[in-house]
Amino acid sequence: MITLPLTTQTPLVDAISHLLGLDGSFGLILSAFIAAFLIGNIMLISAGIAGPWAKRKITAVFTDRIAVNRLGPLGLLIIVADAVRLLAKELIVPEGVDRPSWDIAPLILPFSALLGFAVIPMGGPLQLADPETGLVFVFAVASIASVGVVIGGYSSNNKFSMLGGLRAVAMNIAYEIPLIVTAASVVLFAGSLRLSEIVSAQAAPLIVIAGVTIPSWFAFVNPFAFVLFLIANLAEIGRNPFDIPEAPTELVAGYVTEYSSVYFVLFFLGEFLHVFLGGAIIATLFLGGPAAPISSLSFIPGFIWFLLKIWSVFLFTQWMRAAIPRVRIDQMIEIGWKGLLALSFINLILTAILVGVIA
Amino acid sequence: MSSTPASSQKNIVGISKNGTLDYTKLEKLLGPLVLQKEDHVNAPAFVIRPDSVEEALTLLRDEAGFDHLSCVTAQEYEDRFESIYHLRKYDSPQHELGIVVPSPKNNPWNQSACSVFRTADWHEREAYDLVGINYEGHPDLRRILLPDTWQGHPLSLDYDQNKPQLITLQEHENPLRDTDEENTMFINIGPHHPATHGVLHLKTVLDGEHVVSVDPDIGYLHRCEEQMAQGLNYRYQIMPYPDRWDYASAGLLNEWAYARAAEDLVNIEVPEYAEIIRTMGAELCRICAHFLAVGTFALDIYGDFTAIFMYAMRDREIVQSILEDLTGQRMMFNYFRLGGVVWDLPEPRDEFLSKIQKFLDKIPAGIQEYSELMTTNEIFQLRCVGTGILPPDVARQYGVTGPVARGSGIDYDLRRDDPYGYYENLDWNVVTNDGCDIYSRFLVRLGEVEQSAKIIGQCISLLESWPEEDRIIQANVPRTIKPPADAEIYRAVEAAKGELGIYIRSDGTQQPARFKIRSPCFSNLSTLSEMATGGLVPDLIAALGSLDIVLGEVDR
Amino acid sequence: MTTDPRLNSKLREAFGSSPFILTKFDSFMDWVRGSSLFLLQFGIACCSIEMMHTFAVKHDLDRFGAGVPRASPRQADLIIVPGTIVSKFAPRMRRVYDQMPEPKFVVGMGSCTISGGPFHKGYNVVKGVEEILPVDIHVPGCPPRPEALVYGIVKLQERIINGQRSPVTVDPYELEKFGDLDTHELIEQLADQIAENDLVMRYNWSDSP
Repeated sequence: MITLPLTTQTPLVDAISHLLGLDGSFGLILSAFIAAFLIGNIMLISAGIAGPWAKRKITAVFTDRIAVNRLGPLGLLIIVADAVRLLAKELIVPEGVDRPSWDIAPLILPFSALLGFAVIPMGGPLQLADPETGLVFVFAVASIASVGVVIGGYSSNNKFSMLGGLRAVAMNIAYEIPLIVTAASVVLFAGSLRLSEIVSAQAAPLIVIAGVTIPSWFAFVNPFAFVLFLIANLAEIGRNPFDIPEAPTELVAGYVTEYSSVYFVLFFLGEFLHVFLGGAIIATLFLGGPAAPISSLSFIPGFIWFLLKIWSVFLFTQWMRAAIPRVRIDQMIEIGWKGLLALSFINLILTAILVGVIA
Repeated sequence: MSSTPASSQKNIVGISKNGTLDYTKLEKLLGPLVLQKEDHVNAPAFVIRPDSVEEALTLLRDEAGFDHLSCVTAQEYEDRFESIYHLRKYDSPQHELGIVVPSPKNNPWNQSACSVFRTADWHEREAYDLVGINYEGHPDLRRILLPDTWQGHPLSLDYDQNKPQLITLQEHENPLRDTDEENTMFINIGPHHPATHGVLHLKTVLDGEHVVSVDPDIGYLHRCEEQMAQGLNYRYQIMPYPDRWDYASAGLLNEWAYARAAEDLVNIEVPEYAEIIRTMGAELCRICAHFLAVGTFALDIYGDFTAIFMYAMRDREIVQSILEDLTGQRMMFNYFRLGGVVWDLPEPRDEFLSKIQKFLDKIPAGIQEYSELMTTNEIFQLRCVGTGILPPDVARQYGVTGPVARGSGIDYDLRRDDPYGYYENLDWNVVTNDGCDIYSRFLVRLGEVEQSAKIIGQCISLLESWPEEDRIIQANVPRTIKPPADAEIYRAVEAAKGELGIYIRSDGTQQPARFKIRSPCFSNLSTLSEMATGGLVPDLIAALGSLDIVLGEVDR
Repeated sequence: MTTDPRLNSKLREAFGSSPFILTKFDSFMDWVRGSSLFLLQFGIACCSIEMMHTFAVKHDLDRFGAGVPRASPRQADLIIVPGTIVSKFAPRMRRVYDQMPEPKFVVGMGSCTISGGPFHKGYNVVKGVEEILPVDIHVPGCPPRPEALVYGIVKLQERIINGQRSPVTVDPYELEKFGDLDTHELIEQLADQIAENDLVMRYNWSDSP
């Protein structure tokens, strides 16, 4: 039996245990919990701001409106009101739902997204774990989400939900492959699956234009792959033009049609976490992770840059939502299999040749 | 069953040398089928036996070119029931003919016209539902507007409104089930569904995502508009109701339909100045209605309250404020009166007219914006080009009118073909598109907004230069209007959605004895299954959006 | 708020008559529920056009935290009833309302939801939505201007924040099982059309106010 020498570094856990002076296995577990709590909450807060408030405000800007402005400064207190109100609502369990799976489905979505953040380098020691197969891990856990969607869809005993669930399966199969194949081209450049190494591979300067050093972010090195990945990511997180599993005006609310109260919040949260996880993957693979775009700005902590990057990806999804029509289910499958898949393989092969020549 | 477009026929019977209809020739064509000739105010009508409907209508369609069954009116007299088939030609809408089919009081029946005109399907179901005439040979004669369990026929003379009724709600009627026999799924889209533009119910059978069949179930907004109008007087009371038929701010267009029918019934001449104001107001309403169509269509295709929906609403808001200045209300205008309009333009006139002009100046840029956001978008084109196909001969069979017909290449616009108002004297074009798909319907609507703007622009310059002493807004109309007994008229105008026709029969009193509304949306909606069958669910939604129905007008 | 003087236990004497924390929590929950409302995306008739304008650019209902339309009733707090209810729609309307989770609020928009409005003489028209649902706020008008609807919703929010609840009225038209109805001429006529377990709603034009 061959055992690969897999090593997992845990920068944040080490930093916390060092800071608090926690030793031994118990100390390690405790500091791991603290670290996980920290990372989880950062992302939950992001999603909490995005869901009830930022999304409304951004949409309002696109549509010439103001949106919430009566509650607190800029209407920020709507976050409290929305969250508490939704959690305090009646939880309706419709007749004929497939009970255990109906309850599990809403948990899977935020769970899988939060798990994905564990390996994302967010600047400095802010990385929960840095396994050698970090990239594979991220994609593996992120795609669990579609299981949740499917379970939620079929167990709701609602035809609209079921159609939504079926669409989610079709879409995820069609877009997961191009997504990963495109990511593989980045791995060819970086020569590693470890996310921290992918980030550090982007630190070198690419070219200097008029005294400004452009770093060798893979978005600049291989913009073609970047665009491919952005598009496939939109489908992965189910946003326009690929929001067909939810598709209001076609399927009412898709797989969440029957969910109310807490379960709805979990779905809602999970969706936004996935948008941010998608943003985090894009930032890590293509935008240099927590690095500053130009070296003179590197006095700003990497974590801020990281947040900026994932929020701009979120902004991008909202822009798409406001301006791009939804594609039809068959067209979406077609774009996925005939278009993106072929293009992603071409990209992979060309990158392999290029990397081989340079090497 | 195939229809023969009149345009392809060389020898159409019944046209005299000068191009008008020759009713004696038509009578000769029908021969012994004609029992009697009646004179309606709009056109003569032939009385035929209840068992010769199919034969007579086939003859008229194939030989005389009457390819448009615009309306079927059913009514009950003291001594008999009667169905009236109002026939027209798509090529020359001024050629009109009524076919009157009396049937006995104790057993009201007549042959169905479904095999000749497919649009008769829904019209006859409505007649059965409300009046109670049985149509023999009708493939599917059940209630259409009222619930299936309703007792009695409300527009028949002996209907007792005070009787209790029972309405069912079948719960779990079609559960998800695993059966070996069929691999389809029945799904209710509506009556509460974000894409149905109101309370429409589509009984849909799906095979995966493909639509196997779709059956629109209407009547969730049947507000008894015909009964309402039959209980009110001509002079003042009916006018507020048309605003509520097509409530997508197309109020003045609807009011015009009633005004035109009633004015022709009692011979009222509308002053020229009032006609110009009417024309201007009506076209503003058309713009408003088409903007709503654009906005809600964007809602269907884009899937959320996106930018385009909001932009359409923003533009509508401007038109509504102009119309509010003119009429005093944002939506339910009640501005027309028989013989004119209720008041003149608001003072100061210049300010009002320049407000409209300012809006008109912005229209080209607005259309450009919509084109950039929608019609030139690749995904939008993917969704709309080549989907929801409605070939022109099918459209004629279903009595389709308005932008939907013009999007199928049928050059039919009553403003030009059956002139009323001030349209004859203005310079504008009828927008048509041969695409027959969702995309072309959408383009037609955008094009019509431009044409309407052109009409309004001309109206403004006319109004500006109109001499002050000639500003007559109202003809001399008696305080009470009593048309002669048994006068019958069918008159239509080009409303936002198509041919909006009114049939009125008077009985010598101040109130109409029968008031029938021919709604364009009703006929247009009946084509939905033609368009959507075989497509996917999103196509069904897009096709429904492109029909631009307003349930208030479908159900009346 | 006055408390019943009979509530005079030792515990209450020690901590004051109404526990501070609990009343604060109650008023916090009222504030939460009043400040943020998800609407049911739902249109019936003419009023729904003005309702759309209320959401849209100029009037922007979302300023008050009440402008998120949800298509599924399971996620809505507030249903604006924008138009005439007719007999065929009445049971469906009731069903949609029943599908909403508590606490839920109803705003009746327009004259039709108050009394049947201009159509109250119609053989098919339900004279006011209160025949079917408990209504919190009526907004009169035909149709009400968007400003009026905004005012109505803000009033509703005030009421919720102040802890005022409308009593849930007993409705004349309820959904019932067909088998449970008293025998009547009509029931006998329909016996072969409707199954015992089917839900039905009575409709009686003359009995309504």
